[in-house]
Amino acid sequence: MAFLEINNINKQFGKAVAVKDFNLQVDKGEFVSFLGPSGCGKTTTLRMVAGFETPTNGNIVIESKDVTNKPPNQRDVGMVFQAYALFPNMTVAGNIGFGLKIAKKPAADIHKRVAEMLDLIHMPDFGDRYPYQLSGGQQQRVALARALALSPAILLLDEPLSALDAKIRVTLRAEIRGIQRKLGITTIYVTHDQEEALSLSDRVVVMHDGKIEQVGTPFEIYNFPQTDFVANFVGTLNAVNAEVVDPISNTLRMDGFQLQTAGGLEGRLSGDQVMIAIRPERLSFAAEEKKANILACTIENITFLGSIVRIQVHIGNTNFYMDTFNNPFLELPKIGDKSEVTCSREAVLILSTNK
Amino acid sequence: MNDSKQTRKFPFWSWFWFIIGVLYFILPLYATLDFSLRMERGVLSFKAYERAFSDPEFLRTFGYSVILALVTIIVSILITVPTAYWIRLRLPEARRIVEFITLLPFVIPAIILVFGMIYVYSSPLKFPFTNITLMQPLTTFTFGTDILIVGGYMVLGLPYMYRSVDTGMRTVDVRTLTEAAQSLGANWFTIISSVILPNLRTALLSGALLTFAIVVGEVILASFLGVPTFGPYLFLLGQHRAYEPAALTFTTFLLTWAAMGIIQLVTGGQGQTAGAH
Repeated sequence: MAFLEINNINKQFGKAVAVKDFNLQVDKGEFVSFLGPSGCGKTTTLRMVAGFETPTNGNIVIESKDVTNKPPNQRDVGMVFQAYALFPNMTVAGNIGFGLKIAKKPAADIHKRVAEMLDLIHMPDFGDRYPYQLSGGQQQRVALARALALSPAILLLDEPLSALDAKIRVTLRAEIRGIQRKLGITTIYVTHDQEEALSLSDRVVVMHDGKIEQVGTPFEIYNFPQTDFVANFVGTLNAVNAEVVDPISNTLRMDGFQLQTAGGLEGRLSGDQVMIAIRPERLSFAAEEKKANILACTIENITFLGSIVRIQVHIGNTNFYMDTFNNPFLELPKIGDKSEVTCSREAVLILSTNK
Repeated sequence: MNDSKQTRKFPFWSWFWFIIGVLYFILPLYATLDFSLRMERGVLSFKAYERAFSDPEFLRTFGYSVILALVTIIVSILITVPTAYWIRLRLPEARRIVEFITLLPFVIPAIILVFGMIYVYSSPLKFPFTNITLMQPLTTFTFGTDILIVGGYMVLGLPYMYRSVDTGMRTVDVRTLTEAAQSLGANWFTIISSVILPNLRTALLSGALLTFAIVVGEVILASFLGVPTFGPYLFLLGQHRAYEPAALTFTTFLLTWAAMGIIQLVTGGQGQTAGAH
């Protein structure tokens, strides 16, 4: 039996459906991210696990106990909020020790645990400070320590890095993952940032319009998207319509070009319209190494993105993005140049059938 | 930098209106102070203050008003804080209605309020559909009129107390703080007493101060309900004395400012809020 079970959860606010038929099993110690755009139901689902919202139907089970109708203070979950939510009238130590005080732990135990938590977040000398004397990143670390002080069964994080600047986000997310691994605590992390979800999680739940689109490891989600939405939402994607030429030999036609795919045409007939997708990094110039598919193109635009150079190429009637690693010794083509790009059969993903 | 300094114009009109505003408030106050010091012909003295403070009626009425003000403040906080908290947390749709209600004391004069109270509470309270009397008319005994006047004061102070509390709650993001406390195992009593109230200290002190000022200076309710408070005393004193009322007015003004100073001292540096910065 899974450590956390979310069974057939639905949530309606009036007539609006926020979450629909949500099912998920999370193992002990697993780090699962809910990823999706604003309004997709990820925070509502997290709040139902925390007990701040009650599901319209379905149930939530933590460690074999049905907690669906239990109030938040009886669920044994720790929560970290986007807005930190530190108590302004209490010091850092007071904030971290708040839950322990509520649990009526002896003063000596509280003191010891607070010190442990301060060490864990690398802020041992900050116990006497007030929240307003801390930076955003420090406040969020204190919020994390506060949530962990009671050793909850599950840690819930609701977009905890959204209010921070880019550099601190990267540092803090590594810290969060490090602490999670060290404590082995089951964690649900809500984010709209795909990089955060992919870099942190054991599994990612991609959500759209209140429903789960796909559940999988970051590798599966990125490389083998199962729906158009996942393919488009996670990473940059070249998505284009193509016609099935021969489903047995996996041949397609796109803007007059023949394309080979590695599979995914089972059950389709010659003449069917399908949507195909190719990740920008799977395309390369044919001059370097020719692969199964070779497409003539014109260079439309070149954008320097630091470690990556994004080249926009015109193939047939469609613009494609192609990513290549920045190499200062490699000569880049010029805008307007004619060239050829290539990609492997495996790079051509079949998303859906278009009638 | 130097260029911008040289080209920056002196904000003449800002200063003009600021000075006009300051004079509007300061001049009457200065006139009151000046007048209160001229009881003895040709010299400035505190004679009026000595006389006013030596009147036992002053201490009695002022003390009575202070007690009524404190009771009003406590009861107002007990009613306003949970109401504003619940509206912000669970009933945001009721906010407009409550805001409208809190504005009513501005449009309904105190005289209407007091006549309404006298009309309603001058009859005995009876058990419904019987002739059994549960309570004598509140207007017929001292404790009854005290209850009525505290109720009236609460109505008069409601706009200030509610708005102070509501603004305070907006600043500290009570919803998130409540959820954070809940997730740490706190019950409602702990949340309100340990998290919400301490973070509303500034707002509560502001509301309390305004209520205090209203109660101490209030005349109409006290006069018509026959409660011997400071307001009617000052009014009566003004009918047949010239300098003492001015001295007392200035003194109460100073007390109010002292209270504001205390608020600044007590809350200094604690005005930070939860949430992102």
